Amino acid sequence: MAAEGRELRRLSDTVWEIPATAGMRVPGRIYADAADIDALAGDQSLEQVCNVAHLPGIEGYSLAMPDMHFGYGFPIGGVGAFRTDDGVISPGGVGYDINCGVRLLTTALEARDLEGKMRQVVDRLLSDVPSGVGSHGAIEALSPPDLKHLLVKGAAWAVERGFGTAADLDRTESSGALPGADPDSVSERAYTRGRDQVGTLGSGNHFLEVQIVDHVYDPRAAAAYGLFEGRVTIMIHCGSRGFGYQVCEDYLEVMGKAAVRYGIDLPDRQLACAPVRSPEGRAYMGAMGCAANYAWANRQMIMHLTEETLLRALHISPRELDLQLVYDVAHNIATVEVHDRDGHARELCVHRKGATRAFGPGRQEVPAAYREVGQPVLIPGDMGTASYVCRGTEEAMRQTFGSSCHGAGRVLSRTQAVKRAKGRSIERELAAVGVVVRSRGSKTLAEEMPEAYKDVDRVVGVMERAGISPRVARLRPLGVIKG
Amino acid sequence: MSDQSRRWADRGAGDCYRELDHPADLWLEVQGDSLSSLAENALFALFDTMVSTEDVATDGTAELSGVGAEPAEALRSLLAEALFLFDTQRFAAAGAKVTAEMLGETGETRLRATLWGETLRRDRHRLKTEVKAVTHHLLRVVDEGGKGWRATLILDV
Repeated sequence: MAAEGRELRRLSDTVWEIPATAGMRVPGRIYADAADIDALAGDQSLEQVCNVAHLPGIEGYSLAMPDMHFGYGFPIGGVGAFRTDDGVISPGGVGYDINCGVRLLTTALEARDLEGKMRQVVDRLLSDVPSGVGSHGAIEALSPPDLKHLLVKGAAWAVERGFGTAADLDRTESSGALPGADPDSVSERAYTRGRDQVGTLGSGNHFLEVQIVDHVYDPRAAAAYGLFEGRVTIMIHCGSRGFGYQVCEDYLEVMGKAAVRYGIDLPDRQLACAPVRSPEGRAYMGAMGCAANYAWANRQMIMHLTEETLLRALHISPRELDLQLVYDVAHNIATVEVHDRDGHARELCVHRKGATRAFGPGRQEVPAAYREVGQPVLIPGDMGTASYVCRGTEEAMRQTFGSSCHGAGRVLSRTQAVKRAKGRSIERELAAVGVVVRSRGSKTLAEEMPEAYKDVDRVVGVMERAGISPRVARLRPLGVIKG
Repeated sequence: MSDQSRRWADRGAGDCYRELDHPADLWLEVQGDSLSSLAENALFALFDTMVSTEDVATDGTAELSGVGAEPAEALRSLLAEALFLFDTQRFAAAGAKVTAEMLGETGETRLRATLWGETLRRDRHRLKTEVKAVTHHLLRVVDEGGKGWRATLILDV
């Protein structure tokens, strides 16, 4: 089997390798089952895995997760780790929606507490959590000094204002703020786009979902995470809004010129990059850090808005609701991490573009409460099926720089999905299986319908069989708002 | 120019672009008789992705331009400016007029656009999909001689 004439070797039930040839510095490794590999035939994402392998300073492998698809430069689902001393950083390895990610909350509620109230809850969430095209106005537009403060502090900016607690920061990847965020590396245009979008969901595949824990696979890890069968959870999926999109756009131009200046031979222009330690690399790292922090503040604010809304809609006290943050993960980001490589500690800039950090037990970056079982890995599925909480493993540290998949991955294009939804009411179909959905965009439900996505059970199963991120709990949707 | 002729809806703009299959984003193919009309139609495609343009009035105007070494980059730059206007001023367009010129000193292409539209109102306008960016990915602008101009571009959504 081949990708654009390349050899594709099967290493195991779930791992495939493209040997390093024709300028590739390392092999490509793809996590997928045989059916996924067949479906990728003719898709350019395998070629994109090879292209990433050409970049200077790449360590080990150019990796792709089972939800991979064709992206911009890097494939979506791609992971690339670059040595900080001789490697590069690339905006195409992070994507436009910097720190798009997922936040999971637990409650003390059970399904019976929501009986007959789900429609009202979802309607209130749709009206109180700004979502959809150009959504804004969750809080007053920020002044430039206040926005700068947010860009450095991340989620702590919101906590300082009473929107959450210090415990939330402990349960957020990178404590909700990347160090080294530099507001002076950010353009005026990004400031303009970002000033009034904090606390907004956006549109597309972003969502806020009320769920129920319908199965626990790993009781020990689930108990550590505070997940119990029958309990209601809330999942939030969104990113850095217009602020992050603008940072990416600005730095694609900067990196395009930098790649020429540093004589970096690019197999694809979209992989524009600069050495991690060059002025351009540092500037992007500073600006990308700001966007990542914006996203963490955004999800912290949305958590607060959700709590307020649920208290009002259900007429209960904060104690009765008992909303707690399980974890918040980024799945579009580049972070500097230390990994063990053949017995030596190596500092690497790990790009995860549509991939989730999945650190194993013992890592200092994992909150103390979870350190024995590994980091929670949050994998949203489609709005009619399920999402999963998995856990990071030592095997993930060995094989994938502590990374796993980020979702089910699309199987239908938006256009195909809209065609297939013609004459159907996705809202009614989901209501029939017990899911109340509401959206702002007129085509969103059709574009995001369950059959537009791969089977999340299969995707998660690949990562489990590979030993990367075994299942902890399955979360079934009850109510969904989409932008 | 009369209000009627300003509007894309009154000029049968609906057929000027189509969506190609892309696994996650919007891959658009746009046609035009000239580079100017191609840019006008690409602006329509962008706004038609985000909002139902037939509900948008044409009382307001905005001036934009995009410059690039090649027509493709000039078009991307113009569309990125329009997206910035939409995202920051909430200005939705219902029509546009574009002029294309080659800059003598540099040989660059400049596209200058006048947009007609109004400020977006969530209670009046039907919203569709948020566009994150007008990407460089698979960006092409081709002069097909007698058959007019054709562009392909990907909107990150």
